[in-house]
Amino acid sequence: MLIAAGGPVIPDFNTGAFACERANPLFCFDWFSRNWGGVLWPALREHVLLTVVAVAIGFAISSVLAILAYRRRWLERPIVAVTLVLYTIPSIALFELLVPIRGLGLSIRSAEVALVSYTLLILFRNILTGLRAVPEEVLDAARGMGMSSRQLLWRVELPLALPAIVAGLRIATVTVISLATIAPLIGVQSLGTPIFAAIGNNLFKTELIAAGGLAVALGLFADGAFVLAQRALTPWTRAR
Amino acid sequence: MSAALRFILRDGQVPGAGPLPSLIHLTLSTLAVSGIGIGIALVVALPIGIGLGHLHRGSFIAINIGNLWRSLPSLAVLAIAVAFLGLGLVNVEAALIVLAVPPIVTNAYVAVDGVDRDLVDAARGMGMTQWEVLARVELPLSLPLIFAGIRTAAVFVVATTTISALAGYSGTLGDVINNETSYRTYGVLGGAICVALLALTVEVVLAGVQRALTPRGLLRGTSGRPL
Amino acid sequence: MRKVVVRTALGGLLAAGALVAVGVQSSVASLPGTGKPAVVIGDKNFAEENILGALYSQALKAQGYSVTLKDNIGTSEITWKALVAGQINLYPEYTGTLLSAIAGVTKNPTSATAAYSQAAAYAAKHGFTLLKATPFYDSDALAALASYAKKNHLTKISDLKKLGTKVTLGAAPEFATRFEGLLGLKADYGINPTFKPIAIGLSYTALDSGKVDVQDVFTTDGQLATAGKYVILADPKHVFGYQNVAPVVSTKVLAKEGPAFAATLNKVDALLTFNAIQQLNKAVSIDQQTPAAVAAAFLKANGLG
Repeated sequence: MLIAAGGPVIPDFNTGAFACERANPLFCFDWFSRNWGGVLWPALREHVLLTVVAVAIGFAISSVLAILAYRRRWLERPIVAVTLVLYTIPSIALFELLVPIRGLGLSIRSAEVALVSYTLLILFRNILTGLRAVPEEVLDAARGMGMSSRQLLWRVELPLALPAIVAGLRIATVTVISLATIAPLIGVQSLGTPIFAAIGNNLFKTELIAAGGLAVALGLFADGAFVLAQRALTPWTRAR
Repeated sequence: MSAALRFILRDGQVPGAGPLPSLIHLTLSTLAVSGIGIGIALVVALPIGIGLGHLHRGSFIAINIGNLWRSLPSLAVLAIAVAFLGLGLVNVEAALIVLAVPPIVTNAYVAVDGVDRDLVDAARGMGMTQWEVLARVELPLSLPLIFAGIRTAAVFVVATTTISALAGYSGTLGDVINNETSYRTYGVLGGAICVALLALTVEVVLAGVQRALTPRGLLRGTSGRPL
Repeated sequence: MRKVVVRTALGGLLAAGALVAVGVQSSVASLPGTGKPAVVIGDKNFAEENILGALYSQALKAQGYSVTLKDNIGTSEITWKALVAGQINLYPEYTGTLLSAIAGVTKNPTSATAAYSQAAAYAAKHGFTLLKATPFYDSDALAALASYAKKNHLTKISDLKKLGTKVTLGAAPEFATRFEGLLGLKADYGINPTFKPIAIGLSYTALDSGKVDVQDVFTTDGQLATAGKYVILADPKHVFGYQNVAPVVSTKVLAKEGPAFAATLNKVDALLTFNAIQQLNKAVSIDQQTPAAVAAAFLKANGLG
């Protein structure tokens, strides 16, 4: 062990400027603006990235599964059973259960697999429900016009299923945004990182409120965006 | 993996680590905390949801409270409850209740509100009072959907109860997952397996109850989750 | 005529450019870190580690090294796994923690140097080197509010024996199963308090609110810098072991980075006395300043920034 001769110089650290933080009230705006760039914005960015990737992959998988189950009815029950099991496993457990799997480990891949799992049930159900809700007369008319199975799917069935699909995307996205706050449990950064940090710091309220508030705001923003998307994409339906 | 299973069979003990809380004890404790939360939430949420549905009022609130609920990250709600109310069972329960009420309200509202108006009118026409209409027509028909909301809330509360360990509350299965130092990697995995099994058991049991409560004519496998 | 002028002008420009380039090269080349392979430094998920990570990465950057800091990776176990997996090349670790949490050793080392050499041996077995340790050690300690300590005449841990189960001791859940924790305290001091699991991050909240009488804290906590508020109970038998900090670095990476790498980090660590780290912790934990800003101020004041 070394000790520098004469000891270190300890600067003042400008402690007088931090009275608000020391008092730990509901919210210190100064802390918020000072830490936006270094703490909150990176966390928000990571969180959005995690969410977008998870919902995109979940949507892709669920679409394939839903189209398969649409064609072969017997597939529905097993798919619902598996996705329901995945959905029911609490996030804290699912994240940990994925870590020992080779290829996943303590990485963003485990977090994504877990988040994708939570989207499957709702997206599968909604896409399938949407496809099934297409009126028989419309299908007959389209077939009568000579459309192939494939054309039918892409030009009639999927567009008419859009309201249900978008509704499913809406729920899935908001659910993922909420669950991604648990990701730091396995070392993956998200808006949960400042929340965990605040918990570990004698409950620094400003950070809790800022990060928690951002997660809620992000969820509400996504929710609203999907509502608008639904209205825009399906002008023929009257939104509630 | 096998080490995790052996850990479970040893009731959560780790050789050389001194006595650790029994897994069975932690599981029961988790169920108890969740149960209290759901119980109080039911007492609060069911009257509101059923009442609003019966009166066909407050649809905006009843439906959007479900949307708002989904945006609330459980960890943040727990941490904020602890920050403002302190650490303790009562405060964790407060957070659990806040998180359990919305899905119950939304489902109860949609269920009762959505009962076929013709049936309600017919019942009124037969001379039933408001209360009789509610008890003898609306509620039996709404039971599946109401119960689906309770099921959603119950699984959610069990999951959130385990998350409370991350917010500093001790005494649930989440403690095992949050304490790799004592339980080692295989113990954490074992704890995760227990949490998963617990949630799945709750889901399966409540699904069975829901099925039992559904009038035979309605047994269509309603999913029931609010859109 | 014009061609000659243009050529001369061009030639002059080129010469000037070359001179500037050489000048720039030599001043950049004088930094020991230039041209060395990039290094990834990690730190665990609490303030003191964040500060150490910031100190190391900034000090190395000032010497020209190419450093990426992966902040807040997670617990000790997760951070060690990241090191072994190669996701990070270096992180600051506590000698005692390396032995108990990572190596799984249950027998307490008898001195700080013994702890260090045992930890270094374990690290070496796995392909890692321990650089020189800090003067400060950040071990657990038992703290009580000064008023409580005065009322019950508490100066050392064995004084708690007379209070039996009436005294509530708060600590993280894992404290109850550790020999540098409750098990060792019970064995070596004969105390028998009522244990209350309290998450590490809530220690001072619990202590200040009276939720616990005695709380497990860390010797370098910023809160302890407030004179007269808390009393640390003496641990003459060293149940809490030795927890100096030393950077754990992949031996291969260390060889590639050259001698100035270790020398820089050793210089930083040599500055970290008890008082220094406590003041750094205070600025981060209590004033909520960012570890990066605090590290920068400290390094600048000591000529390493």
